[in-house]
Amino acid sequence: MAIQLSHFSSSSTALYSFDHKISCFSKWVTGIHFRRQLRNHFELKSTNGYPLNAVPMQDEGSVAKTLEEEVHFPESGEPNSMLSITVVGASGDLAKKKIFPALFALYYEDWLPENFVVYGYARTKMTDEELRNVISETLTCRIDRRENCQDKMEEFLKRCFYHSGQYNSEEHFLELNCKLKERESGKLSNRLFYLSIPPNIFVDVVKCASTKASSATGWTRVIVEKPFGRDSESSRELTKCLKQYLTEDQIFRIDHYLGKELVENLSVLRFSNLVFEPLWSRNYIRNVQFIFSEDFGTDGRGGYFDNYGIIRDIMQNHLLQILALFAMETPVSLNAEDIRNEKVKVLKSMMPLQLEDVVVGQYKGHNKGGKSYPGYIDDPTVPKDSVTPTFAAAALFINNARWDGVPFLMKAGKALHTKRAEIRVQFRHVPGNLYKRNFGTDLDKATNELVLRLQPDEAIYLKINNKVPGLGMRLDRSDLNLFYKTRYTREIPDAYERLLLDAIEGERRLFIRSDELDAAWALFTPLLKEIEENKIMPELYPYGSRGPVGAHYLAAKHNVRWGDLSGDD
Amino acid sequence: MASLSSSTHCCSSSSAYSNSSSLWSDQHHYYISNLEFSAISPKNPGSKKISLQSKGRLSLNAILMQDGAIATTATTVENEAPTKKSKDGLLSASPPEEHKEPIGFDVNNDQSTVSITVVGASGDLARKKIFPALFALYYEDCLPEHFSIFGYARSKMTDAELRNMVSKTLTCRIDKRENCGEKMEQFLKRCFYHSGQYDSKEDFVEIDKKLKEHEAGRVSNRLFYLSIPPNIFIDAVRCASVSASSANGWTRVIVEKPFGRDSESSAALTRSLKQYLLEDQIFRIDHYLGKELVENLSVLRFSNLIFEPLWSRQYIRNVQFIFSEDFGTEGRGGYFDNYGIIRDIMQNHLLQILALFAMETPVSLDAEDIRNEKVKVLRSMRTLSMDDVVIGQYKSHTKGGITYPAYTDDKTVPNDSLTPTFAAAALFIDNARWDGVPFLMKAGKALHDRRAEIRVQFRHVPGNLYNRNFGTDLDRATNELVIRVQPDEAIYLKINNKVPGLGMRLDRSNLNLLYKARYSKEIPDAYERLLLDAIEGERRLFIRSDELDAAWALFTPLLKELEDKRLIPEYYPYGSRGPVGAHYLAAKYNVKWGDLGVDE
Repeated sequence: MAIQLSHFSSSSTALYSFDHKISCFSKWVTGIHFRRQLRNHFELKSTNGYPLNAVPMQDEGSVAKTLEEEVHFPESGEPNSMLSITVVGASGDLAKKKIFPALFALYYEDWLPENFVVYGYARTKMTDEELRNVISETLTCRIDRRENCQDKMEEFLKRCFYHSGQYNSEEHFLELNCKLKERESGKLSNRLFYLSIPPNIFVDVVKCASTKASSATGWTRVIVEKPFGRDSESSRELTKCLKQYLTEDQIFRIDHYLGKELVENLSVLRFSNLVFEPLWSRNYIRNVQFIFSEDFGTDGRGGYFDNYGIIRDIMQNHLLQILALFAMETPVSLNAEDIRNEKVKVLKSMMPLQLEDVVVGQYKGHNKGGKSYPGYIDDPTVPKDSVTPTFAAAALFINNARWDGVPFLMKAGKALHTKRAEIRVQFRHVPGNLYKRNFGTDLDKATNELVLRLQPDEAIYLKINNKVPGLGMRLDRSDLNLFYKTRYTREIPDAYERLLLDAIEGERRLFIRSDELDAAWALFTPLLKEIEENKIMPELYPYGSRGPVGAHYLAAKHNVRWGDLSGDD
Repeated sequence: MASLSSSTHCCSSSSAYSNSSSLWSDQHHYYISNLEFSAISPKNPGSKKISLQSKGRLSLNAILMQDGAIATTATTVENEAPTKKSKDGLLSASPPEEHKEPIGFDVNNDQSTVSITVVGASGDLARKKIFPALFALYYEDCLPEHFSIFGYARSKMTDAELRNMVSKTLTCRIDKRENCGEKMEQFLKRCFYHSGQYDSKEDFVEIDKKLKEHEAGRVSNRLFYLSIPPNIFIDAVRCASVSASSANGWTRVIVEKPFGRDSESSAALTRSLKQYLLEDQIFRIDHYLGKELVENLSVLRFSNLIFEPLWSRQYIRNVQFIFSEDFGTEGRGGYFDNYGIIRDIMQNHLLQILALFAMETPVSLDAEDIRNEKVKVLRSMRTLSMDDVVIGQYKSHTKGGITYPAYTDDKTVPNDSLTPTFAAAALFIDNARWDGVPFLMKAGKALHDRRAEIRVQFRHVPGNLYNRNFGTDLDRATNELVIRVQPDEAIYLKINNKVPGLGMRLDRSNLNLLYKARYSKEIPDAYERLLLDAIEGERRLFIRSDELDAAWALFTPLLKELEDKRLIPEYYPYGSRGPVGAHYLAAKYNVKWGDLGVDE
């Protein structure tokens, strides 16, 4: 029986010292302690009811409250419990590059519970030793405290095991279950499955894992990676299948952009500072821009991408999620369900995208400095006649009281001139500006702008108009800056670390709920259908360029100027 | 029009680092000069004539402009088509001989000269501030083509001796040292000295002759900088105005603090000045108003959308104006002891900044519009009462083997002096915008650091979702906007931010703008700006008589009470953070001094 743990229940009293690390343990010790006894009783008796121990919790979280009162899970920090993390698809790229390193980082920083094991599961035949070899190549230690790194690595690798099996074989999962049980040796068992596998075998694995390898005594949770379908129908179908075997709160749909430091900080900025929230509406904000760009193409790995395109790959999930977080009303609390409720409201207030509010592009080959960069269709894994967009820009609108008429622009592309992800908030011009004459004719060119740069080089800066020091009165734009690198010397954890830890702790705030996913697809599906059915030709742009000029015209239509291409950035 | 070329000239050099023709490049000086020009000519077609005729009685040739009455029209005229309009106005309104040599303004006209007479040329201020500022203006090409500088004082000195003295304090801008030596020589060639008594009309008649010689028949504009003790102000003004004011251009007088000791003496001083000068000839200097970040205060407020909505009691919890020096009177306490820190810093510098900070949006950036709004603030304020003030005086302190003297150890200070060297005060503005918001001031000598800053503490977030991350006192984690006037000019906004990493810890980070990092150019001294403004007739940063009255009205009852009752100041050690009484005063209004917070 899995249950959501309540978060932010800090027991610390110090002003700023709400230290998560402490609290995740202290909440087990304090807040939950007496409840746990209760729960254990309850738990022991109800063991064999469901294949997976899940609290039947609804999306809206109405039941959650009451249940939370009554039962609480002994979380993985409990000395008598054992956490097993099974990475399904352990030989894949994501597992090697992101998941195992993230797990090691968590271990290295003492975030993982005392008793844990990591299992790799894939079809490849491999011994534990071989897996450890594979993993060890990608592990790194935090720059800021390298001591014991080697020791820690060895200790970590000792906890890693491998099990080879087919993804649709119940027997193989049964075998895994036996191995897990062995490791658990009678302790309360909590199991996390990370599905790092292609979407076509999602459901098979979930079926096998849930029926044969779910925990008998503790919780079982499954982390699922994108793509969550290709459109409303396929996504709904996938959700339906998942829900045959899992309850809503066992499903952890990961969107790793939500784990980025500055996306996490977005809500902190808005809700813990007085100076931003009064400005956070159509009264003061002229437009908002969500910009994602990569400076490389598919580079021979276009097979998966070609089937999805940039809109599905980046916009419908990452950028839209950030938009929802940005634009949501103040939630009742920081509770996962409260936040997700507000996000869904934003998505539901939006109009489905219209083709005329979208520009699609595809990069073409380009020679620069004697070097030739390939076009998208030069990628051998991409069909020669592919019209899949590698770039898209879109204007979205939220029809609610707060945002009516404010354009939310999105832009995402591959093979562009820079690599960046950022949120730009452009404010309106000052009504009746006394310094008008210092600004020339276009007052909107000198407005304030708040920029949250998610990557690279995390930063927050606010462009303000300032007097140039000196005699006379010349204004220019300066930045009020916060560069993370200068302010915070510590390395910023990878998004996967945060998300894995949250899944282990049952914190669902950063995972996508089924109704959120539905609402997100509802916005994009008609557009995607139209683009594909009409085989709309993308505007071609050179590899390494600033993208198709169409994006400027789209912005101009809504009286917006892209902040990232404005010259003073 | 000559004024146009003059200011363009000056400004383009002062802004060498941005040669852009972009939207930012409006030329302030250009605008101002035309503004004034147009303001005067059409409105007062006969002003020149009047002054010419009445020279005997109204001895200084003054432009007849009232405190604010004309300013508004000036703006409208200027808004339409600055250059052309003023020229037209001039052509139609002025007597024929005047269009060639228009009165007033255009300092760079080939036909006009500016003579700057520093009265009290041998004094400290003149040597350390005024001459260097004049040289800096010259070095940056901000002075008109024809200008000369006269030193006037009682000491006997030759021109060469003055030049020698002046040359010691001149420095060149760090960023463009070329030609420095050359420029200095050229500048010094334009400096002259005239020795005379401050109350002798004859001596002023002599300087008038010398000035005329240098003016060589051109339109003569004269600026007198009175860098002399207050007791001889009036004498000098009388002599200068009667015997040495310009016959065909403008004559302006810059006056330094103190402007009296209280309402009565200040009013008396103003009355006396006005016997010889018109309001708009008097330039009361408050050099804090010439500081870069004080100038920038209005820019921040009025040219950014994000600040003005927050600029009221609804969002601002309190505002602090902090001034501290890390040294005492050091043997020069004679003047100070007669005035005390409240008169020396609070009643003028800090109160002026407060007024600029708190004023309503003015109709325009015109001097009269801004000063009208400032006066409104001052008049909406409660008179200071004794319970809202804490005074202190520094006592001697031994640290690391060095003994720092007490205030009363200063030989120029009476041993039983009760003059405050520190004061903290809570002020209130009873208007719709600021009702109930405490404006705290603090000023002191011999403290642990040297700084001048404005701190704006915002209210806490209502219904903060992150409450539990802040402990019990929500006000400890509020946003704060800090404008550091000196040293190391900076603007920063303290925000709550998530500490990067797993988990959810908040802390306060700064959104920063450090001038040093952003602007490589040296920031001009306040005196440069103010001298230039006086030459150009820009009155925005000078204090009008009614402002001064209102400022004294707030402080006079308090000062009287302090002195009548001989209230004992709280003693604090030299180099300390000042008397603890300041904390209790702040606590009374639920404020914490931002400069003494742990995270500073």
